[in-house]
Amino acid sequence: MPDFDKLDKAIHEKGRLAIMTLLASRVSWSFQDLKAELKMSDGNLVTHLRTLHKLGFVAVTKEMRDRPQTSYALTTKGRRAFSDYLEVLEQIVKAGKE
Amino acid sequence: MSERSRAEEHLRVIRSLMERATIYRAISVPTALIGGLLAVATSAVICWFEGAQTPGQPGHDYRLFAEIWLAILAVVLAVNTFFVRQEALRDGRVLLSSGARLALRAIAPCLVLPAATTVWYFKNAEPIDQEILVAVWIAFYGLCLLATALFAPRSLVLLGWAFLLSGLLLIFWPKSFTGDPRGLYPNLAMGATFGLYHLIYAICVWSSQRSGTRQILTPE
Repeated sequence: MPDFDKLDKAIHEKGRLAIMTLLASRVSWSFQDLKAELKMSDGNLVTHLRTLHKLGFVAVTKEMRDRPQTSYALTTKGRRAFSDYLEVLEQIVKAGKE
Repeated sequence: MSERSRAEEHLRVIRSLMERATIYRAISVPTALIGGLLAVATSAVICWFEGAQTPGQPGHDYRLFAEIWLAILAVVLAVNTFFVRQEALRDGRVLLSSGARLALRAIAPCLVLPAATTVWYFKNAEPIDQEILVAVWIAFYGLCLLATALFAPRSLVLLGWAFLLSGLLLIFWPKSFTGDPRGLYPNLAMGATFGLYHLIYAICVWSSQRSGTRQILTPE
């Protein structure tokens, strides 16, 4: 029977789950938009994004427009990990109903 | 709290966050560019033909005006479907994504009155009806765009306002002062709004999306 131990711990943390969810909803997010949406401090957000980037879940793009802008997007690996995470959650719900 | 309730709560939070963050651009930039150019060209061709005719010529069928513009609409819809599909394939999404379904649901009610007005126009088709038809098309197209305001980018919302206000302006325009014996006014309004507004929108969005120096960082 599936349980919470089977969930990816890197994604399961509240802040990182919110980041992964937002990244899954759009093609890419700028740092400022993520910060505004999640209402996180710069330091907190940077730490979580760095963790996800190190795991290969998040791609970082630095662009020079009128001013430097960093944007974040889910990698294929990250999208798969997020989809697996959702699947485990759904399995837990399903198992609970049976 | 049981594991099932915890999982349900997590899924609820994820869903609400995703719905809130969804941004869907119902009109792709290439569609706006092609649609805008087509509208300007169509308006110019109609003006040229109408200008060459004697005003109030007997046997003139005003339905042709609506038929031409509806044909242009069909072409632009096909072009938009093509580009939205390309975009969806590129981003690994399906054509009828949750964003697209959300947009269709929001837009659908705003199409009822323009559709009814078009049917009514085909039964009446007089110059004055042409002015009403054009005002309704323009204003309700603006309303369609504004109906997606909750999840559309700001540029599309501004375009919606531009159309809505232009539709209102057309309704209240003092026509007796314009002096338009050849009835070119509705056609010019179509060219100015569906043509020029879309071209301006495409240029503004394209210039804001253009990238400068770009560096993609790979995981360590």
